[in-house]
Amino acid sequence: MAMYIRVKRSKTTYFIQCDPTETTIDIKQKLHTLIDQPVNDQRLILMNTGEILEDSKSLADQKVENDAVVALTLRKDDNEFEDVNIVKPNDFYPSRDADNGNW
Amino acid sequence: MKKEDTVKLISAEGMEFVIDKEAAMVSQTIRNMLTSPGGFAEAEHGEVTFPEISAVILEKICQYFYWSLQYSRGKETEFHIEPELTLELMMAANYLHT
Repeated sequence: MAMYIRVKRSKTTYFIQCDPTETTIDIKQKLHTLIDQPVNDQRLILMNTGEILEDSKSLADQKVENDAVVALTLRKDDNEFEDVNIVKPNDFYPSRDADNGNW
Repeated sequence: MKKEDTVKLISAEGMEFVIDKEAAMVSQTIRNMLTSPGGFAEAEHGEVTFPEISAVILEKICQYFYWSLQYSRGKETEFHIEPELTLELMMAANYLHT
């Protein structure tokens, strides 16, 4: 394993082992085995930049690095992709956020 | 990558982290849960719940598992820990024998 990325959707994070030379479609195929969603119904977005990852491009070309966070969105019934929806743990602990603000 | 080769770790808040079994077994505690004969329920469902560990800490732990795998294969990088996480992280590490 050369690296891993963190794919997040809702309250779930998938740690996916991969190589910088692999393409986006390779990652989608790995996700397919985990979540049973066809690759065509998956969209991956690099959280750092907000860019949608293109199937044929390699991870290295799209600046996806080790430990990167990538959002997964799925195609809805109306054929559109859902919005990015990642539950942050801070949603459960609002006080922790407030603490940080005071420091 | 097969679904059977992964395990789902669930934090106190119900956040889920799906990681390779290979990575999870960096933790002796999780290794015991997944490999003991007599079948922990955890081993059968591939799910382990940690009611005492928050999602922030559990994610850090998962990152550590993968860092540890990379390190053991000769990729020497630093593992960054935010100072405010240190105490909770040490308590979790102690529990997990990591």
